[in-house]
Amino acid sequence: MSTERIVVGLEIGTSKVCAVVASLRREGEIKILGVGQAPSRGVRKSEIVDFETASKCVREALVDAEEKSDVEIRGVFLAVSGGHIKSFNNRGIVTIPEDRGEIYEEDFEDVQAAAREVTIPPENSFLLSLVQHYYVDGQDGVLNPVGMMGRKLEADFHIIHGVSTRIKNSLRCLAELDIEVEDVVFSPVAAAQVVFDQAQKNLGGLMIDMGGGTTGYVLYADGAMKRSGCLSVGGDHITNDISLGLRIPMARAERLKVEEGSVAIHEVLPGEMILLKDETGFAGREIERAMLNNIVHCRVRETLELVRKDIGDDRLIDFLGAGVFLTGGGSLMHGMDGLVQEIFGHPVQLTHKPTVSGVTSAFDDPQLSTAIGLTKYAHATQEQKPEGWLKRLLPRIRLFGR
Amino acid sequence: MLELFRNASDPVAIRIVGVGGAGGNVVDRIQLDGLPGVETAVLNTDSQALGASVAQRKLQIGEGVTRGLGAGGDPELGYQAVEESVEEVRELLAGAGVVFLCTGLGGGTGSGAGPMVAHCAKEHGAFVVVFATLPFSFEGKRRQMQAQEALDAIRERADLVVCFENDRMGGDVGTAVQEAFAAVDRLISRSVRSVAALVRRPGLIRAGVQELRTVLRGRDARCLFGFGSATGPNRAHEALEMALKSPLMERGKVLSGTFDVLVNVSGGPDLALREVEVLMNELNRHIEDHTRVHFSLATDSALGADLEVVIIGAAGQEPVRHSSAAQTLPAVAAPAVPAREPAPHPPRNSEDALSEPMPPAQFAADEPVAPSDSAEEIRRRAREEREARLAAARNRTGGGSRKEAKQEQMQFEPLARGRFEKSEPTVVDGQDLDVPTFLRRKV
Ligand SMILES: Nc1nc2c(ncn2[C@@H]2O[C@H](COP(=O)(O)OP(=O)(O)OP(=O)(O)O)[C@@H](O)[C@H]2O)c(=O)[nH]1
Ligand SMILES: Nc1ncnc2c1ncn2[C@@H]1O[C@H](COP(=O)(O)OP(=O)(O)O)[C@@H](O)[C@H]1O
Ligand SMILES: [Mg+2]
Ligand SMILES: [Mg+2]
Repeated sequence: MSTERIVVGLEIGTSKVCAVVASLRREGEIKILGVGQAPSRGVRKSEIVDFETASKCVREALVDAEEKSDVEIRGVFLAVSGGHIKSFNNRGIVTIPEDRGEIYEEDFEDVQAAAREVTIPPENSFLLSLVQHYYVDGQDGVLNPVGMMGRKLEADFHIIHGVSTRIKNSLRCLAELDIEVEDVVFSPVAAAQVVFDQAQKNLGGLMIDMGGGTTGYVLYADGAMKRSGCLSVGGDHITNDISLGLRIPMARAERLKVEEGSVAIHEVLPGEMILLKDETGFAGREIERAMLNNIVHCRVRETLELVRKDIGDDRLIDFLGAGVFLTGGGSLMHGMDGLVQEIFGHPVQLTHKPTVSGVTSAFDDPQLSTAIGLTKYAHATQEQKPEGWLKRLLPRIRLFGR
Repeated sequence: MLELFRNASDPVAIRIVGVGGAGGNVVDRIQLDGLPGVETAVLNTDSQALGASVAQRKLQIGEGVTRGLGAGGDPELGYQAVEESVEEVRELLAGAGVVFLCTGLGGGTGSGAGPMVAHCAKEHGAFVVVFATLPFSFEGKRRQMQAQEALDAIRERADLVVCFENDRMGGDVGTAVQEAFAAVDRLISRSVRSVAALVRRPGLIRAGVQELRTVLRGRDARCLFGFGSATGPNRAHEALEMALKSPLMERGKVLSGTFDVLVNVSGGPDLALREVEVLMNELNRHIEDHTRVHFSLATDSALGADLEVVIIGAAGQEPVRHSSAAQTLPAVAAPAVPAREPAPHPPRNSEDALSEPMPPAQFAADEPVAPSDSAEEIRRRAREEREARLAAARNRTGGGSRKEAKQEQMQFEPLARGRFEKSEPTVVDGQDLDVPTFLRRKV
């Protein structure tokens, strides 16, 4: 691996398309060279619904990134998300030939293949199989079993899969722009790479990324990814609720949400009003702050409760040593930390607070965490496997295979 | 009457009849406000009051018993008066397809003669809508009792009863009585106008009536009536605001306890669907999920740049199951003999009974009572009604546009998905998460 390599992380989000150009150095150092952005259109709930419009936005963001970084972009690491993406944990087992008795590299592939010997819907493809733990002859705590003597190699995997055609939608978009996709990564998995450091993964942490159309999450325990998922509810839903509840257009609801919205319902003074600034028609209308906060609160609480329910295992949540981390634009909502703490029972860290990682200023924007996370992900996987196992994954997705 | 339903595109002949002093004043108000295509008549024991009326036809009743001096607050006298003149009353009502009977209950003439006038109209086969007021509480308990009894009797006979409680008409304590009455008259005039419009609209007469019935059903339901009109770029919003501020709307608060409301929006040819959308969305804030909105839209070039909103409903009613059968078939023939027992007379001397608060005003629709209708007749009407509905449905979809007026039915969707209308729904545990949480959880 050369001393410096340039990678581009691309997120086609519901609210914005964002491309981060970074240079990777040894020692895990990442330098961001430029961030290109464009408002997203034609994307709903993190999935492309209007291909042509979305393509334009992607092009815009890439051009912006090229200008800002002075790098010509040929390939990207692409984040994908959507409610169709599911995950589960499964163990793969392989028996080492008796005449050998030693574990070789190639056994890894077999054990992963064994873990994937489960039924996923025929229309789905695997996105990621991530090793959680190895066991050699039933003994755990093995970090790297290569070269170890043993009869049986087992590995627990966290396996993520999604509907092939939907993933291909994003791929097609880049193919038309003649951009190579180096790897496809589930968005929350990417974001988690910038949100957590290794120590926090070991302690156990839950990251929730509330974007425009979806809310993704990743849970780490004992240094391994244990849960990941995506719920098709996001900041747009809050805006929509406000728009319907207060009878104001979406654009005004969005502004009202960002400027005045809060999930804190107990901080409201009785009878407190917000004056809606004048636009056509609704001149100087007043709305009750209690009503606004209530609408926001209901939605956010429900969303967080659904995430908790999706994780399923209360013990996993109870033992989160590092607590809960919030990212994505939705984490900017006032009062979020309090509500998250109430629902998950852990202290909350907001990724835009400089306490998390003082790497570069771009890290402080929670809306960028997925795209930046992609570059970190690229860095980690490149280190592990210089050739990149994505090369094997991609044709599979393209061919519908598993 | 059958004429009326057969040739649905003809405007319906509505006869507005005022009974007693208050009824006469209301009819005068309507006459002065101008409601084209209606015939107005007043009927009273009081010859002086009749002389001052501007109604098209006037009938003095019971000259023998009252000598033209009024019934003096005694319903018994009012009843005798109408008995004496029953032939003239019948004659006055002959040939009317729809009779709107306006009366102030509590005095002698309206309370005593009103039920009989309703009965005569029904005998002619007319569709009878009664607009009645209940006395102010300051008028005393006796008047209130009389009014209540008369109201019960009227209910036995009329197809629809629209009842206004004077106490709820929003007059301030300081308002002079004459002013308060005048305000009531105006509101009733307004509501008569709207109901007339609903009943008369070509093509959908029966549908309108059927919906009115659903909306106004329930003996103890309180009347909701709101009217608003506005011009200008924001007229939909303003008209609705005004309608919700009508005294009988209690600023829209009452709407939350309502199961059915009828909303009619009318405007000139430039009435835009967007405006209707704005209006309905806004209205949705004042009603609950379970409330059904019966919505009708009318374009009427006479309105020019005005947009009018009428809201009719009843609060405190029982929910009703909306089966399609109940919607399309008229109520089964009511027995010629009133099925309902007359309310037992409260002990007139008991202080306790008398000091009980009056029930709120009622705006009730009773089952149609058609004393002369045979079962055959009713079945035939049901068939015609279905046909009328079908024709209306065809008009809606088939673009068979009418020149004068157009009415459409819309089912308003209370659980709005807004921006996510067209996107794939997010359904978790059987819930559509695109619908606002606060709506699903009813906070
Ligand atoms: N809206 C309205 N209501 C009135 C008016 N005058 C009286 N009322 C109400 O109507 C009730 C009946 O009053 P009247 O209409 O004068 O009585 P009547 O029916 O003519 O009977 P008699 O007075 O016996 O001839 C009263 O108790 C009042 O509540 C009026 O001008 N307008
Ligand atoms: N200050 C804020 N308060 C509340 N919500 C915000 C704020 N800023 C941005 N958002 C919301 O965050 C969402 C966008 O987050 P982002 O992570 O960029 O989404 P995506 O990755 O889906 O494009 C939008 O719904 C936006 O309204
Ligand atoms: Mg995102
Ligand atoms: Mg009188």
